Amino acid sequence: MADSKTKVNIKTSAPKSSSAQRASNGASSSTAMRLLNVEAMYGSFRAVNDVTLDIEAKSVTAFIGPSGCGKTTLLRTLNRMHETLPGATVKGSIQVGGTDLYDPSVDPVRVRRSIGMVFQKPNPFPAMSIAQNVSSGLRLSGTKSKRDVAEIVEESLRKAALWDEVKDKLNEPGVSLSGGQQQRLCIARTIAVEPEIVLMDEPCSALDPLATLKIEELIGELKTRFTIVIVTHNMQQAARVSDTTAFFNMGADRGGYLVETGPTNKIFTNPSNKLTEDYIAGRFG
Amino acid sequence: MIIVATLVAITLVLLEQTSVLWSFVDPLTFLTSGGWSEVESPAGEITASYGALPMLWGTLVTSIIGILVAAPVGIAAAIYLVEIAPKRLAIILTFLVEVVAAIPSVVVGLWALSELSPRLRDSIEWWIASTLGRVVPWLSEDSSNPANSSVFRAGIVLAIMVTPLVSALSREVIRSVPQSLREGLVGMGATKWETIRLVILPTARAGLISAVILAFGRAIGETVAVVLVIGGGATLIPPSLFQPGSTLAGQIAISYGDAGTVGKGALAGLGLVLLGLTLVLSTLARLMLSRSNRQGRS
Amino acid sequence: MRTNRIMLRIIQVATFVAVLPVFLILIAILAKGLGTLDLAFLVNNPLDEQVGIANAIKGSLAMTGIALLISAPIGIAAAIFLNEYASTAVQRIGDTLVDILLGVPSIVAGLFIFLLVVPALGYNGYAGALALSVLMTPVVIRTTQEVLRLVPAGLREASLALGVPMWRTTIFVTCRTALSGILTGLVLALSRGIGETAPLLLTAQGSNDSVIDLGAPLSSMTIVIYNNTISSDPIKFAQAWTCALVLFAIALTLNVLIRFKTINSRVL
Repeated sequence: MADSKTKVNIKTSAPKSSSAQRASNGASSSTAMRLLNVEAMYGSFRAVNDVTLDIEAKSVTAFIGPSGCGKTTLLRTLNRMHETLPGATVKGSIQVGGTDLYDPSVDPVRVRRSIGMVFQKPNPFPAMSIAQNVSSGLRLSGTKSKRDVAEIVEESLRKAALWDEVKDKLNEPGVSLSGGQQQRLCIARTIAVEPEIVLMDEPCSALDPLATLKIEELIGELKTRFTIVIVTHNMQQAARVSDTTAFFNMGADRGGYLVETGPTNKIFTNPSNKLTEDYIAGRFG
Repeated sequence: MIIVATLVAITLVLLEQTSVLWSFVDPLTFLTSGGWSEVESPAGEITASYGALPMLWGTLVTSIIGILVAAPVGIAAAIYLVEIAPKRLAIILTFLVEVVAAIPSVVVGLWALSELSPRLRDSIEWWIASTLGRVVPWLSEDSSNPANSSVFRAGIVLAIMVTPLVSALSREVIRSVPQSLREGLVGMGATKWETIRLVILPTARAGLISAVILAFGRAIGETVAVVLVIGGGATLIPPSLFQPGSTLAGQIAISYGDAGTVGKGALAGLGLVLLGLTLVLSTLARLMLSRSNRQGRS
Repeated sequence: MRTNRIMLRIIQVATFVAVLPVFLILIAILAKGLGTLDLAFLVNNPLDEQVGIANAIKGSLAMTGIALLISAPIGIAAAIFLNEYASTAVQRIGDTLVDILLGVPSIVAGLFIFLLVVPALGYNGYAGALALSVLMTPVVIRTTQEVLRLVPAGLREASLALGVPMWRTTIFVTCRTALSGILTGLVLALSRGIGETAPLLLTAQGSNDSVIDLGAPLSSMTIVIYNNTISSDPIKFAQAWTCALVLFAIALTLNVLIRFKTINSRVL
C-alpha cells in the first residue's frame, strides 16, 4: 500500500472525491495535473513559453514536436527535475491534487516520490543487482521491512513485464541485461515507489524496434494504474500509444511553445492548427 | 570542507612568512648574496649572515640541466610510444618508463651517488673538462682531484627522475591531436616524420610546453636525490658546473638540524622562494594548457 | 626519405635512453641489496647484534597509515563537495588550490610542520604523519574528483527522480559507483607517502629505538636509506641498498596494484 505520508497529497480520478474542491480549481474530476502558464528558463533563455494544459488521469499524454522545441524541458518541470540544473528556473504553477508543486512550502524530494521519471538512456545503477535496482527507490527514500521489499520487487517486475525474464537472476548486476530489458528494469524501479504519475522522456529512442514494441505494449498496460506523460519524437509512436497529444513547436526566439493539444485521434486526423497539420504530414521537423 | 583545503594552502604560506626573522637580513640581500652562518656570542648577541643566492642558482641550474635533457628525451619517447611503436611494445615500454617515477627518490639518490656519479665524473665530465673546459672556466675541473659531487651530475639525476613525467604528460597531449589531422597528411603521401614535424608537433606545441614547465616545477622541488649528488652545504656559487653546489631544497634538508633562531627564519625564507617558484611555474603551465585547449580542438 | 629514417631512428634511441635508467637502477638494487637481505634484517632493529630495519618498516607504515587516516576523509569529502555541490566558480577556485597543493615540494611540507610543530613538541612520529598528509591529501582529492566525474549524470538523475534526497544520492549512488576508483586513489596516495624522505627528516628525524612511539622521534625506511647513504661506513652503505630493495619492492607492488585496478575499473 502506498506510503501516503511521504508523498504530496494527490487525489486522482475517483469520481466521488470532493467536487467542491475540484470545482474551485475549474478542473474536471479526472485531471491528474494542471499546468498553468508554465515557463522554463535556463538562466535568461526561455526554453518553454507559457504553457497551459491539463493532463488527464490514468491515460497517456504525448508531447510531440520537432527537436529543440522544449518538450523534454517541460517534462522535467513536471517532477521538479529541471531546477536541479545550475541556473535553471521555472515560472507558473503546476497543480496536482489541489497543491501547487512549486509552492515554496513543497519539498521537491517529495514531489519526485509521487511523480516518477524514466529516462531516454536506460540508467540502472551499475553497483546494484536487478533486485536492488528495483528496490533502490524504496530503500533510499523510506524504510520497509525485508519481506515487504521482496514482494514489491516481484510485483513491480511483473507490472513491468520483466519478471519472467529475470526471476532466476535477481542478484545479477542490473547492467547485465539487454538495452530493452534495462529500460523495463528502470520502469520497474520507477513504479516500485508507486507514483501517481510516470513521466517518460523518449524511453524508446535508444532501443531496437522489438524492444520498442515491448515497451509500447507495457505503456498500454501501465496506464490502467498510472497517469503517463511521454515525450517522443516519433509521431507514429505517439499515435499508437497515447490518448491525448500535445504538439509543441519552436518559436522565432528559439523557445518552445504549445501549438495545440487534444485527443490523439483528432490531432492526427483533423488538427485545428495548420502548423500541426504540416508537422504531422512531415513537411517539417 | 573546501574551507579546510583553502586554509591549509594559505596557512602554509603565511606561517612561513611569519617565521622569517627579517630583523637580521633584508629580503633583497637574502636573495642576492651567499654565505650561511650564524654565530651567537657568549653575550647573547647574534651575528648572522644568510644568503640564498647560491642555493637559488643551484636549484635553477640543476633543474635547467635536467630539463634540457629530459624534455627532448621525454617528448621523443612520447612520440615514439604514441605514433610509432606497435601496440604491445608500446604498453611494455610505457610501463617501464613509468617505473622510474615509482622509485622513491632516496633510492634514486643512493644509486646515483654510488653508481652514476663516479661514472659520470670519470667519463663525461672528464671529457668535457679536458676539451671545452680548457676554454670555458665553468666547464672546468680540478683534474688532479675531481670532485665527488657536482652540479652537473645533480642535473643528470634530475633528468632521469623527471623524464617519466615529461613523457606521460606529452603522451596525453600528443594523443589528443585529432586523428583527422594525421590522416590528412598521410593521405597526401607524407612520411611519418613529416607528419610528426608538420602537424603533430605544432598542434601539440602549447601542451608540450606546459608539460615541460610542469616537469621543471617538479625538478626544482626535488630534495634528496639531488642533495646526495650535489654535495652538502656549499655556501657560495661554485666556479664550475663540475664542482659541488647546493640547492634551495637541499640546503633546508641539510641545515635544519643546527638552525638557530635566525637560522630557522632563513630556512623559511628558502622555503618561501621555493614555494614562490613552484607557484609561478604551475600558473604558467596552466596558462599554456588553457591556450592549447583553445587552439587544439578542431 | 633519408631524413625520415634518420629522425625515426633518433626518436627510437631517445626512447631507449628514457627506459635505460630503469634497468640500471633495478639491476643495481638487486645486485647490491640482495646480499645483506635475510629474515634477521627485516625483523631486527638497529641496535641489535644483527642490524635490522624492523623499526623503520613499522615507522614507515605507521606514519603513512596515520597520514592516510587524515587525508582520506578530508580528501574524499573535499572532492565530493567540489564535484557534487559546489558552483562552477567555486569549483574553479578549488581546482586551482588543489593544483597548488599538489605542486608543493615535499621539503616545503616538511619545513611547514617543522616550523609549526617541532619547536613545541620536538621531533615525533605524529609530526611526520602530518607532513605526509599535507602531501597526500591533494592526491586523494584529485583522484576522487576524477572518478566522481566519470559517474554518468544519468545515474544521479535517476536517483533524484526516484525522490531520493541529494545527500543520499551522493553517498549511496555516486560514491558507490565510484568506489573502486576512490580506493585506487587512496593506494596512489599511499604510494606517494611511503616513498617520501625529506619531509620525514624534518619532522620525525629518525631513531634507533626498537619500540615504536609515535610521540617520539621515529624512523622510516626512507630515513634509514638516507642516513646510511651519507655515512662513511661501508657496512651501513650496504644496508642502505638492502633497505632500498625492500622499499622499492613495496613501492612497486603498490604501483602494480594501481595499474591493475585502473584497467579493471575502465569497464565502468
